[in-house]
Amino acid sequence: MQKTPEQINEDLLRPLQGTGNVYRVVLAFFVCVVIVAGYAFGHQIDNGIGVAGIRRPVFWGFYITNFVFWIGLSHAGTLISAILRLCNATWRRPVTRCAEVITVFALSIGAAFPVIHLGRPWVAFWLFPYPSERGIWPNIRSPLLWDFFAINTYLMGSVTFLLLPMIPDFALVRDRAVGFRKKIYSALSLGWSGTPKQWHRLETAMHIMAIAVIPVAVSVHSIVSWDFAMAPVPMWHSTIFAPYFVCGAIFSGIAALIIAMALLRKFLHLEEYLLPIHFENLGKLLLVMSLLWVYFVASERLTAWYGNEPAEMTVFWLTQRGSFSPLFWTMVFCNFILPFPILAIKKLRTITGCVIASIGVVIGMWLERFLIIVPSLSRKYLPYSWATSAYRPTWVEITITAGTFAAMVMLYMLFSKFIPIISVWELKAGQHPVAAEEYARFADGQTRLADELERSEAGAE
Amino acid sequence: MARQWGMVIDLDRCTGCEACVVACHAENNIDTVGEDQAARGRAKHWIRVERYYEGEYPDIKAKFMPVLCQQCAAAPCEPVCPTFASYHTAEGLNGQIYNRCIGTRYCANACPYTVRFFNWFNPVWDEPLNLQFNPDVSIRSVGMMEKCTFCVQRIKAAEIQAEAEKRPLKDGEFAPACVQTCAPKAMVFGDLNDPTSEVARLARSNRATKLLEETGARPQVTYLKRGSWNGAENAENA
Amino acid sequence: MQRRDFLKISAASGAVAALEGCGNPDHKLIQFIPEEDLIPGIATWKPSVCTLCQSACGTQVRVMQGDAEVVRNGQLGLIKMGLAKKIEGNPAHPVSHGKLCPRGHAALQVTYHPDRIKGPMAVTGQRGSGEYQLISWDEALKRLQAQLGPLATAKQKGALLFLTAPLIGQRRTIVEGFAQAFGGSPVEFELFDRSVLEEANLQSFGIAAMPTIDLSHSNYVISFGADFLGTWNSPVAQSVGYGAMRERPGQRGKFVQFETRVSQTGANADEWIACPPGMEGAIALSLAHVILGDKLRPANAAGALGTAIDGWSTGLTEYAPEKTAAQAGISAATITRIAHESASNGPAVVLIGDLATAQTNGLASALAVNALNMLLGSAGKPGGIEFSPTAVAGGATASGRGANGSIRDVVQLINSSVPKALLLYGANPVFATPEAWQVKALLEKVPFIASFGSFVDETSILADLILPDSSPLESWMDGSPEAGTTRMIVNVAPPAMNPIHETRSMPDVLLTIAQQTGGDAAKALPWKSYEDAVKASLAQYQSVKGGSVTATSADDFWSKVQAAGGWWSAEAEPAAIRLGETGTTIRTTTAQFDGDPEQYPFYFLPFPSQMFYDGSLANLPWMQEAPDPMSSAMWGSWVEVNPATAQKLGIAQADLIEVASQHGTVRAPAMISPGIAPNAVAMPIGQGHEHYTRYASGRGANPIAILAPMSTENGALAWGATRVKISKVGVGRLALFGGSFREDEIDREPR
Repeated sequence: MQKTPEQINEDLLRPLQGTGNVYRVVLAFFVCVVIVAGYAFGHQIDNGIGVAGIRRPVFWGFYITNFVFWIGLSHAGTLISAILRLCNATWRRPVTRCAEVITVFALSIGAAFPVIHLGRPWVAFWLFPYPSERGIWPNIRSPLLWDFFAINTYLMGSVTFLLLPMIPDFALVRDRAVGFRKKIYSALSLGWSGTPKQWHRLETAMHIMAIAVIPVAVSVHSIVSWDFAMAPVPMWHSTIFAPYFVCGAIFSGIAALIIAMALLRKFLHLEEYLLPIHFENLGKLLLVMSLLWVYFVASERLTAWYGNEPAEMTVFWLTQRGSFSPLFWTMVFCNFILPFPILAIKKLRTITGCVIASIGVVIGMWLERFLIIVPSLSRKYLPYSWATSAYRPTWVEITITAGTFAAMVMLYMLFSKFIPIISVWELKAGQHPVAAEEYARFADGQTRLADELERSEAGAE
Repeated sequence: MARQWGMVIDLDRCTGCEACVVACHAENNIDTVGEDQAARGRAKHWIRVERYYEGEYPDIKAKFMPVLCQQCAAAPCEPVCPTFASYHTAEGLNGQIYNRCIGTRYCANACPYTVRFFNWFNPVWDEPLNLQFNPDVSIRSVGMMEKCTFCVQRIKAAEIQAEAEKRPLKDGEFAPACVQTCAPKAMVFGDLNDPTSEVARLARSNRATKLLEETGARPQVTYLKRGSWNGAENAENA
Repeated sequence: MQRRDFLKISAASGAVAALEGCGNPDHKLIQFIPEEDLIPGIATWKPSVCTLCQSACGTQVRVMQGDAEVVRNGQLGLIKMGLAKKIEGNPAHPVSHGKLCPRGHAALQVTYHPDRIKGPMAVTGQRGSGEYQLISWDEALKRLQAQLGPLATAKQKGALLFLTAPLIGQRRTIVEGFAQAFGGSPVEFELFDRSVLEEANLQSFGIAAMPTIDLSHSNYVISFGADFLGTWNSPVAQSVGYGAMRERPGQRGKFVQFETRVSQTGANADEWIACPPGMEGAIALSLAHVILGDKLRPANAAGALGTAIDGWSTGLTEYAPEKTAAQAGISAATITRIAHESASNGPAVVLIGDLATAQTNGLASALAVNALNMLLGSAGKPGGIEFSPTAVAGGATASGRGANGSIRDVVQLINSSVPKALLLYGANPVFATPEAWQVKALLEKVPFIASFGSFVDETSILADLILPDSSPLESWMDGSPEAGTTRMIVNVAPPAMNPIHETRSMPDVLLTIAQQTGGDAAKALPWKSYEDAVKASLAQYQSVKGGSVTATSADDFWSKVQAAGGWWSAEAEPAAIRLGETGTTIRTTTAQFDGDPEQYPFYFLPFPSQMFYDGSLANLPWMQEAPDPMSSAMWGSWVEVNPATAQKLGIAQADLIEVASQHGTVRAPAMISPGIAPNAVAMPIGQGHEHYTRYASGRGANPIAILAPMSTENGALAWGATRVKISKVGVGRLALFGGSFREDEIDREPR
């Protein structure tokens, strides 16, 4: 049902205007978890990374699992937002900012892990290409350096992609704010006044970004996958990893988006903005990704099994029926057996159903990252050098992992307090879709007219 | 022609005594990590003697294989290091620059032979065990990767000495600690690019094989397979 | 080596102190005047001798200048001194040939051990409490003199008991002379007893010494349980020979090992044959049966050695392959084939040792092996068994050398009349004997106990007074090894470095006491110092032709020999053997085992650990962390159990197992090992120390403790003759370095 612009403003700006006690308590809890995680990291720096559970030959464990997981999670946001924009899918409007925010925060959290997992994080800046007096540059042959550039590029792109459409909303809040807050929102809104020229520029910029960010997003997780695929480790060195990881990333991202939206809907009372149809559509996307995920996993495992290469088969059976099989089957359950019926059957594809499926997917995808990393490293080529005992994370790794989830929630909660979580202007524009297009054309024409006027005036002088 | 340091390990001669393992610890200032850390896979034996059983009792056999850094010509650990801490030297060694290492441990994952070891903590020696340190080898600190260097400190010392005396290096003039101490003389070290060197000669043996050659790493350590015995043949040859 | 007259130079900077890792930059240390002239950064190589086992391998030690934090007269300070950095084999040495075993390298950690006794100590609490206070050397010597002086005067036999590890050279001479002068006897104790083989070789060849095996010329090696590439006899020399045997151009020698558990040596065999404990002699005679029966050698080839064995002259019918095969579980065809192979591929040599001679029929088995060697034609011949000429010259024509059974004599001695004083040096019988022998209770009866050792261990903790010897790298070394080379040889090496702590060389302490006591004691030990004693003993070699050192004068000879690390003949001169002097008939009796097979179903196989040897090296961290060759275990003990047995008993890897004999129990985690018989369990020797520095105390379990008091025929401890039962009592932990035990693990769980 249609809402007036004033109603929309009120509903979407309400969270910015007041804070309840429940909010404060919940936020405080998550902040505490993040602080404890920070303490754990400090403990790790102080004593050495040996306080974590990683060991020879499982040199990567929870931290890299988290790294890949969070970078993966970041994909849905910008990707979905960009693709939906380019396809002009109108139902995207309330969803895009939620998604883009997930991207930015998940990326930031994910990008912290290459530093957290380092043996010497205090020299992490050597990854940055700066002219050192020793004349040494980083090694561009290393997939870790590709990670460095790709993730930073994606982060910059996503932040831009997030900030651009926030400008008109910053202006909206600025106009209603007083005192110190007014100053901040003024600065953030970059002098937006809603002129046709400005709208035109904004739309053009959005369009360019939407196109540009898609290959960047695809490349980021392909590059992350190549951290594994480029190494001669059994079951890592597989050509399927790049598309497999990108698919998995989008898969986990959509699930995270669904969960985030459901929580926002409930706690910010956005029932009339985030409608069941949104969840249904995203649920269908999730279903497609689930099937795609099964396709990739099955292809990879089938070819490995058929090829019967001894080192690969060792890892294969370790995951399939050895000590990692409980986790493996849990992953299959969470990523396919649970979501498939829920998302495929219309009756079950309710908001609750989609959330349940999504929670399963988030768990399943985290397990998938873990199962890609740890079993392969546990059993490489020389059996004498297999892991002598199973990799077990310590309290440091568990705490830091918990801290990342807490950080995500905390950042999201803080964001929704200061910036409308649903793009107000886009929603309004969406209410009158035809008018929006006409207006856009009109604005375009006005702009050209204005430009010509300027030129002729200049010429006349 | 530039030197290519290499080794030949004769598995027929190796007895599995592990003198090489302890000699390496003594030469290269490798710390012991203690029971708890050792149980958690943090012990650092730059050279190890892998042992495999075959068959079932009483038809049981066992065999030994010393494994150390193969100094691969196409080392998978080199391209993946983001800071060039793992690099290839002009004389064919895989060098590890300790103070350039930021500790991503990618190299350790990429190594098919699992010969790289990480310093999970700052090493500790109960004094005065530290008086034993070899001053020619740096002490590594937490967060750094380390591995067999073919005793590069001995290589350098020998090269400097030969240059000071204005003469070429002789084959067999010096050896890494493991090679030097091997009683059955199972290990031979030298310049593979010198066709007259013993290591080059043995690498051409018909028992020669390389470990995990199929990974394409091009290891510079050649293993000589265990021999077999045929009484009649041998008696005829006697 | 007197360290007096040093002046204190005021305040070395804190930075210098911090360089040595004391970790406290505010710590100002006094700088003592250096006692030697060394160029920093330049290494010198000094010869020395490794003393960690009886092989006496010649070594060379890399010495470089460094700063050491030391205590002198109660004052902590820094001193620049030569520090040993690395030990290698001495390339010119006829035993080590420039090589070493893993233990030789770890000897560095003896010198630099954090728990080394740094100066004389007197007990303050109760005996055995481990509470000591540091005292000065003057005080310590005074106290020792007070206790021993009266004994010299009284000359009462058995008043002094001097319990040492087996010693060689002037160290031995001084100890013997001292003991006798003070009314006592030296008793030599070691766990890995040589007396069985020495006795067998005395009877067979007239030489009571361990054999020197010419492996480099052997074509066929049969070993009954001897860990000759690991810990038995002279492992470095044997490994050098083994390497040559393997890759002789044109002919690669064959190696066959008979044992119950795949040892590190046995893993290298071309043919590894499982045989039950105690049957080694029978199998050897079975081989002899085939050789005699198929006329592969002349009937009298074994001479008196053969005829001394019951049934030999009639063709050893009791040892027909079929009969032995049935008992030993080996196929008759195998025995026949090996007999033929060894006879046609000479030189063939047969070895026996370790568990095989630690049985109640150990001596008989050793004699059987000697006869077999004689039959094959390898006794006293190249490629076979030979004997060191210096061992013979040193008196190896009468038995009675270091035996673990010697502790029985101690038992008898103490039971008949308790000695007044007990001196300890290098022996740890409280650890290395079964509890059934009650050695500790026995030794505790002696009113005064003094120890010269460098560490507090289970035996030396009973000492009232400790006068710590300097470590081997800080001491003069001399003596001839019993085996390992057939060249004439005497090791001589000055200290590679000055003592770090305030320790004194034990022989010098004895000489001081002797001189102070005067009378017969002073006459028996006329040297002013140990160095003088060594120098005097060397004179006899100066005129020997064909030696490694030629010199114009005695002083010249002395300095050259020191620089070389010893003197040896250029050529091999194996001692001549005198055959079959004994007339007693030998039967290879069936081995006896303690424990009824119903209740105690498993043979108990303690085995010498490659890293800890007999337990004396468990205090060295490099040895604790080096993976055991077969199991890859570090820092602990374990019980090796056959996989089928483990499955039957429901035992999984690392489950805590209790091993019980009739005389005690020990606990250790299970190691499922494919290399051991289903009816046997094995444990490494060396852990289970109650007191032995921070690295070994309270760690693991000691299998020797639960052994039954069984003996070989000549009274040595038969440490392979105990039966046990096992049960799971909990969950333990194994610190393994190796993951899988096999290469093809796809369908198995890794062990």
